[in-house]
Amino acid sequence: MELEKPDLYRLSEDGRTLVLRGGRCASCKELSFPLTRYGCPKCGAEPDQVSEEMMDGRAQLLTFLTIHTKLIPGMTPPVVVGEAEIAPGMIEEIMLDGTEERYSDGMMLQAVPVEITKGEATMIACRFAPAEG
Amino acid sequence: MVTLKEARPVYVIGVGMHKYQFVSDTLYIDMGLTAVRAALKDAGIAFPEVESAYIGCTGIGMAAGRIMFNHLGSTGLACTQVENASASGSSAFQMAVHEVALGRRDVSIAVGVDKYGDQVRAVSKEAVNRLSDTAAIPLVKYAIMAEYLSKEKGLTGEDLALVASKNHTNASKNPFAQFQKPRSVEQVLAANTVAGTTTSLMCCPRGEGAAAAIVCSEEAIRRLGITAEPIRVTASALQSEKPQQGREIPSVTLAQEVTEMVYQEAGITAADLDCVELHDAFAIEEILYTETFGLAPKGEGQHFLRAGGSAIGGQCCVNSSGGLIGQGHPLGPTGIGQIHEIVNQLRGRNGERQQPDAKIGMAHMIGLGSIAIAHILQKEV
Repeated sequence: MELEKPDLYRLSEDGRTLVLRGGRCASCKELSFPLTRYGCPKCGAEPDQVSEEMMDGRAQLLTFLTIHTKLIPGMTPPVVVGEAEIAPGMIEEIMLDGTEERYSDGMMLQAVPVEITKGEATMIACRFAPAEG
Repeated sequence: MVTLKEARPVYVIGVGMHKYQFVSDTLYIDMGLTAVRAALKDAGIAFPEVESAYIGCTGIGMAAGRIMFNHLGSTGLACTQVENASASGSSAFQMAVHEVALGRRDVSIAVGVDKYGDQVRAVSKEAVNRLSDTAAIPLVKYAIMAEYLSKEKGLTGEDLALVASKNHTNASKNPFAQFQKPRSVEQVLAANTVAGTTTSLMCCPRGEGAAAAIVCSEEAIRRLGITAEPIRVTASALQSEKPQQGREIPSVTLAQEVTEMVYQEAGITAADLDCVELHDAFAIEEILYTETFGLAPKGEGQHFLRAGGSAIGGQCCVNSSGGLIGQGHPLGPTGIGQIHEIVNQLRGRNGERQQPDAKIGMAHMIGLGSIAIAHILQKEV
């Protein structure tokens, strides 16, 4: 099945989790996410200086809430979103799987594949869920 | 760097507005001309005296200002359209101020005019996905911050509602405001929940409108025999955000940086401010910015609010116009609408929204991206 945002993540080897596609800059040595075509967002180095570095998809949940209103086309509220640290010092807004009762601030999360329907197509999206172990 | 204090003095001599309103069939030219004519009348000058114009707009299309000015007489004035998202009007004002300060022109007008356009954002053409579908929506970012602060600092939904209630009530006394009804804390809390504890009445509306401000040099004031009370612009700064450090939203960190720059440029501190118009697209922002501006200690913005520090008649009235939440946020005009409010405050002609003995005011806007911009205006005594 097709990934919704293949530029951001890939299925892990066992297919149960997702790994995130980061970039490591050879010039400044910094990790960035996501990997883009434009080069290093930390130091401005050319794209050929940045190589793909897979991130394990684990994250620490910082805060979360439920969106109750359709804010963008294709959104079906309620939707749970939050901010999580996906690598040391790297805070990203993420989408959480299920309802907010499953979550608490500070808990460890794992990026997991979740089937969604977009128009006629079914695809695999990235959602974060409580990490096992 | 040359500051506005060191450069040729620049004064606002006239302001005007067209009411902010919900999307309608009103032509943008009708709105823009209303604001421009009101500003000309306020300044007591004729349009041919204006040498240059900066037009802030986001949703009308190319050459909006040039087409509009055709209907005032083609005087040959220099005409530049400015797009800087929500800060388009503020940026237009800054360019007019700098041009006069540099001595390149004696009289310049900043006009903000907008219709609700297609709202296309460059971020949608970046070809970079984000993990969250709402990552580029400021409302979600601020709602998450409100959630965090409710756990960390004791901020409550009632505090957010109090901001909105204050600003809606100020707007109800402002004939140019989009919302005209006073709202109680209970009414704000009972409105539709958008995200977390944020309700629809805690968010600015979409709309349209126009605002204009004419700036000039001392020489022009003498030459044109201007009798309207001039208000001096003593500082102007704009910066864009840096990567997020810790939990603070970059636009909030940025707001602090910009206000520190304008305080230094104007030679004032937060304690000198009598009135502030700030970017309250969402109620949480007003609480955060009163802290970053130094009006309240860090983490105590809600206490400043609850104690009436930001009310008209308080330590420093915040958003006496109703702010973006109450007066409205039509994008292009918003920053110039703030100048309109502050000029009226400093001239002591703001009616029942008058801050007693107001002498120094600040206008602050955030533009998507983010950029922050601030201006200090002072009554000369």
